[in-house]
Amino acid sequence: MFLTLYSLLAIILFLAFSAYKAAEYAKMPIHGRLDLYPIPKEGGRLEYGGSYYEELEWWRKPRHVSHGAEIIDMLKEMLFIKKLFDNQRPFWWLSYAFHLGIYCLMGWTVLLAVLAVAGLNGVAVMGAGAGIVLVLKILLGIAGVAGFLLAVFGSGTLLIKRMADSSLRRYTTPQEYFNLLLIFLVLCTGIYAWSLAPSFDRPLGVMEQALSLQPLVLSGVGVLHVILLGIMFFYIPLSKMSHYVGKYFTFHKVLWDNSPNTPGSAIGKDVEKAAGYRPHTSWSAPHIKGNGATPGKTN
Amino acid sequence: MENVNDLKPSDIGRAGGQVTKLDKVMDLPAPYDKPGMEPDFKEVKPAWQEKYCTTLDGFVGVDTLQRPKTKEEEDEFVRKFLSGLEKIFTDANNGALQPLSLTFDYCAKCNTCSEACHIYEASGHNELYRPIFRSEVLRKIYKKYFTKSGKLLGGFVGADIDVNWETIARLGELAYRCNLCRRCAQTCPLGLDNSIIAKEIRKIFSQELEIAPTPLHNKGTVLQLKTGSSTGINKAAFLDNIEFMEEDIEEQTGLKIKVPVDKKGADILLIHNAGEFVSWPENPAAFAILFERAGLNWTLSSSLVGYDSVNYGIWYDDTQAKKIVQAQQRAALELGVRRIVIGECGHAHKAAAVVGDRMVYGEDKVPVESFLPILWDAVQKGAFKFDPSRNDFPVTLHDPCNLVRGMGVVEPQRNILKIIAPKFREMTPHGVYNYCCGGGSGFAIMNSLNFLDFRNKVSSRMKFKQILDAFADTVADPSIVKYVCAPCSNCKGAIRDMFEYYEATAKFNIHYGGLVDLMVNALADLPRPFLTFDE
Repeated sequence: MFLTLYSLLAIILFLAFSAYKAAEYAKMPIHGRLDLYPIPKEGGRLEYGGSYYEELEWWRKPRHVSHGAEIIDMLKEMLFIKKLFDNQRPFWWLSYAFHLGIYCLMGWTVLLAVLAVAGLNGVAVMGAGAGIVLVLKILLGIAGVAGFLLAVFGSGTLLIKRMADSSLRRYTTPQEYFNLLLIFLVLCTGIYAWSLAPSFDRPLGVMEQALSLQPLVLSGVGVLHVILLGIMFFYIPLSKMSHYVGKYFTFHKVLWDNSPNTPGSAIGKDVEKAAGYRPHTSWSAPHIKGNGATPGKTN
Repeated sequence: MENVNDLKPSDIGRAGGQVTKLDKVMDLPAPYDKPGMEPDFKEVKPAWQEKYCTTLDGFVGVDTLQRPKTKEEEDEFVRKFLSGLEKIFTDANNGALQPLSLTFDYCAKCNTCSEACHIYEASGHNELYRPIFRSEVLRKIYKKYFTKSGKLLGGFVGADIDVNWETIARLGELAYRCNLCRRCAQTCPLGLDNSIIAKEIRKIFSQELEIAPTPLHNKGTVLQLKTGSSTGINKAAFLDNIEFMEEDIEEQTGLKIKVPVDKKGADILLIHNAGEFVSWPENPAAFAILFERAGLNWTLSSSLVGYDSVNYGIWYDDTQAKKIVQAQQRAALELGVRRIVIGECGHAHKAAAVVGDRMVYGEDKVPVESFLPILWDAVQKGAFKFDPSRNDFPVTLHDPCNLVRGMGVVEPQRNILKIIAPKFREMTPHGVYNYCCGGGSGFAIMNSLNFLDFRNKVSSRMKFKQILDAFADTVADPSIVKYVCAPCSNCKGAIRDMFEYYEATAKFNIHYGGLVDLMVNALADLPRPFLTFDE
């Protein structure tokens, strides 16, 4: 029963810590603009990186923001890691295998949960199945096998590359090796545990046990896998592996945030509110106070 | 000294000696592919070693960063640095907190950004100039002194740099080995921006330790806020300059133009980089000719800061940047103009229109516009009669980072060039992916000790390569004039010095100048060329 509660708690805390982290970034004060072109929401100008500043008297014209182009660009980055593909192809093969594997495993987990809920409600999900169950189980098989293989290949090769390539090694901390190693071990123990009883019904049964709050029936290596998996879920949101949270803000709230501060705009109100804030800390250099014309240290 | 290929971030804290030395830099194309075509690096003088921090790479960019004379001075320096480092993550730094935190927290260290950096490439891939090198140094120090994980786990989480004067001073110097061009950020799969870290280090030094390069601070923003311009030109001198300019225009073109100054209720307040009046007076003169021809209702301002668009604060000190933005807005409000238009200065565009956009607010805020859409509109309306054959020489276009990559003004200048310059050709790469001139973020005006060597041989090297490549068909023929159109004062300053250093004008007839100069040169009814390509 401990493992059941442990694994459910790990998932809950993963989601909670991730949400907390997102909230922490979201509530940070409005910052100075750091537009970096091309910006997708400029729509027709995206191709060459232009902006509304190319228009005569831009502030008098309605602003055309292309959310469609923004979503397409965002999906290219999320689904294909396009910038890495464009700028560092050898690394992309490894990183993309890893991330695609994780996406497959997320899909696998969702499919397991759907089938487990169906099974708990009397639907015959064990065995080959039929109809929609058969389709879901085929998808489950593809997602599971592809996910484990791609993710273990990606994490393993990323770990090796990071150790072997001196230009990466010199910047990699022991913690960063640990991050990759932890994921690699989680995947390896998962594959090994599954290989002891290579059936899709086995993980489905475990999911049913977890969702019905029954004790998990696992092999020794299965127990190790769940313990490591739980540690990974606790740990990811607390580490920089939570870049799935940060990436939204870096693009949408920093590089692509070119909304002008025009009178009466929402940005204008935020700027006004920020200007009224009195910080608790302040800078100490003599020129900060006054009109800035106070000479500093001289030669 | 560490082999450049073995260097790692923690080496910045290593005792004694110079962290690295530049020897093998990037090769240049013909005709600079032969030995003896460029000067060698100068040796560091012993007197500099005693006074400044020469132990990073042998160059001195921050002339106010001087060795402490006593242990107490060193302790105070270290204390203040750590205090400033702590503050960048507090509400004292609200205006940068979110972008800084994101870049600080999430770098995956994939090194995708490295090859986008012109300095790293030009240095022959010297590890010190890899964009993440300085970021990683700052992370290590911050973790060591300010995080629980760093204090508990030390080297396991990368908290392995102790600070003393030498280490901090090296980091201060290293913050001035980045042009803040942000080209690296365009390639980051996580959307992170190493230039933010470089700028935050500069801010710690300026806003907490009162240390910044003299050309940026004492002779930059401080002088500008005191006299009205970083050039030191006060109101009376500015007005004299305008008179001289009017006389020059008449002498050169026969046109009698009364340049409007402090014209109340004008539509446009045009603000130039005041350096133009000193170094390239033909540029504001060309603006006057074009604006008058276009029938624009415009004026210059003689108010404090109203006649100088520069804002060096955006490179090293947010508080100075804000004061300058506010002063420029005040100048516009005093005149009751409808809009501020920035002349040919890239960083001034970004400072007034983008960075300054969130430094002022309310109904009185005067909108800021680039000169480029105005001129393109006038061209489209037929305000000028051009004879493109007057510009019948190869022309290429430099894209100022702040105007193009940082503001998205890409097409108007190209549209104009396609009309007035029949032999226009693009650089590779160009537009928002163009390389920095090497003078960005203050380098163009930083000339203390041997810093010019670093700029000319390293930070400007990629731009020089691009220029040579763009003119590959004619570069070796000194009888053919070649023109680099650089619509930015700082870029022009860097290119001027680059051409002088490599003797590119003297040997190969390669020139530089603005866009408006080239436009006036193409005006069909002027009695003689506006541009003269003398040595």
